Amino acid sequence: MACSIRVDEVSAGYGAVQVLESLSLSVNDGETVALLGTNGNGKSTLMKCIMGIVRPTAGRITAVIDDVEHDLFGKAPEQIVDLGIALVPEGRRLFPKLTVEENLLLGAYRSAARERIPYNQAFCFHAFPRLAERRRQLAGSLSGGEQQMLALARSLMTAPKILLIDEPSVGLAPILVKTTIDKILELKERFGLTVLMAEQNFHQAIRIADRGYVIVHGRIEYEGASRADLADNELVHRLYMGL
Amino acid sequence: MLSLDLFANAIVAGVLLGGFYAAVAIGLAIAFGQLDIVNIAHPAFVIVGSYIAYIVNTHFGLDPVLIGVLVAPVFFLVGVGIYRIYYAAFERTGQESLSGLAFFFGLMFIIEVVLILVYGVDYRLVRAGYIGETIEVGFVGIPLRMLVPFVVAITCTSAIYLYLSRTFTGRAILAVAQDRLALQLMGADPVRIKQFAFGLAIATTAIAGSLLIIIGPVEPSVGRLYIGRVFAIVVLGGMGSISGMFIAALILGIVETLVATFMGPSWAPAVAFGLLLLTLAVRPAGLLGR
Repeated sequence: MACSIRVDEVSAGYGAVQVLESLSLSVNDGETVALLGTNGNGKSTLMKCIMGIVRPTAGRITAVIDDVEHDLFGKAPEQIVDLGIALVPEGRRLFPKLTVEENLLLGAYRSAARERIPYNQAFCFHAFPRLAERRRQLAGSLSGGEQQMLALARSLMTAPKILLIDEPSVGLAPILVKTTIDKILELKERFGLTVLMAEQNFHQAIRIADRGYVIVHGRIEYEGASRADLADNELVHRLYMGL
Repeated sequence: MLSLDLFANAIVAGVLLGGFYAAVAIGLAIAFGQLDIVNIAHPAFVIVGSYIAYIVNTHFGLDPVLIGVLVAPVFFLVGVGIYRIYYAAFERTGQESLSGLAFFFGLMFIIEVVLILVYGVDYRLVRAGYIGETIEVGFVGIPLRMLVPFVVAITCTSAIYLYLSRTFTGRAILAVAQDRLALQLMGADPVRIKQFAFGLAIATTAIAGSLLIIIGPVEPSVGRLYIGRVFAIVVLGGMGSISGMFIAALILGIVETLVATFMGPSWAPAVAFGLLLLTLAVRPAGLLGR
């Protein structure tokens, strides 16, 4: 059944500071869409608007989950999560004083996720063997790479249909960035997810993206209909490759 | 002369007292240790629990422990109500640290004054068959008025420990103070979680209060003696650790009894704060703090 997200002319900000200006984008069923942009252009704010953490000042955000359309405006984050939309937040936001396993089980808090715990947890431990080895350790004691793995795994425990990932590469060594991006693709295919990924590491992001948007100062400056489009675009060259 | 039987008796009495302290402190271990709510009125609720046990016991002759268990659901609802007020007035606007403290301080005074106005400052007590009985094991005497609270306290603490570590709501309670937003991203409503947890914390005071009045007679200001103790226990055990809290309660009970036995009872209250200061200096995270 189809799942998608549609953002229509959304404006948002913090107090007097306008961050997003009439921004529109969409993620269709089964796609991996990259939201590309350097720091401070509004990627995280858009993610927060979709999740109900930041309330837009104008515009509309809707999600289709299993062919049913939902208006996300005015819903609390936990209600949006309960629809089947998960966010791997910026900075991971694990529960540092709980163990790896407790973090994963908290991911399965919503009732629809509880029934799938055995399967999802087994899969997480299979996909991330390090987490299985460290299941009794406190999340706060993990390395940066392991924490990112746990953040991904924990979001999968919520049994999402749509997965939003905010800057998975931030703070990771280059080799880990590559494995993290590969894992995202693997998980996406395994669970049939629809993915929106904000990233500033252009080269890594377009390896797995079907298409993407470039966000500059809170506006979509370029929409690339395919991986090749993005790689060839002049704006992208200017922003990311210093050409 | 340090006699062995005096020492053994003091240790046993200390363990029993410590178990009872755990029952008084467990609610605060939830409210303060897990939720960051500085409920300074916690011992005042314990005293209310004692008075309810006294009233019902005097009129209907019901067993005090049974009264505590029956009244706990009512206390739960009271706790939920108090948290709603606290949330709406302070937490939502981020003023909980100072105004919230003042709120609970005021609550404590109101409770104490109302109890004094209605029942006066006389000591009240309950009647039950086992109060006054003592089991002799060798040269150690175990008074039932201490053993019954100890057993109830252990049952209570274990049940709450299991609840927090084994259930979804329990784990959410452990997580809520660490990262509210992250908990929302797990699909849980942090306000409802905290509201439930605070209700649970207040519910335990109904049982702790009935245990307090089994151990000895109670008057309204007795609660003040417990403010320092329960906060010391929660900090000593390591904020957020239920098992640490239990160990800390036992240590405090044993040390207090030893001091009272060999140095004199007037020294005992100083022990709680001595332990607290020592812990903060040597191990700020507490015994089992994560």
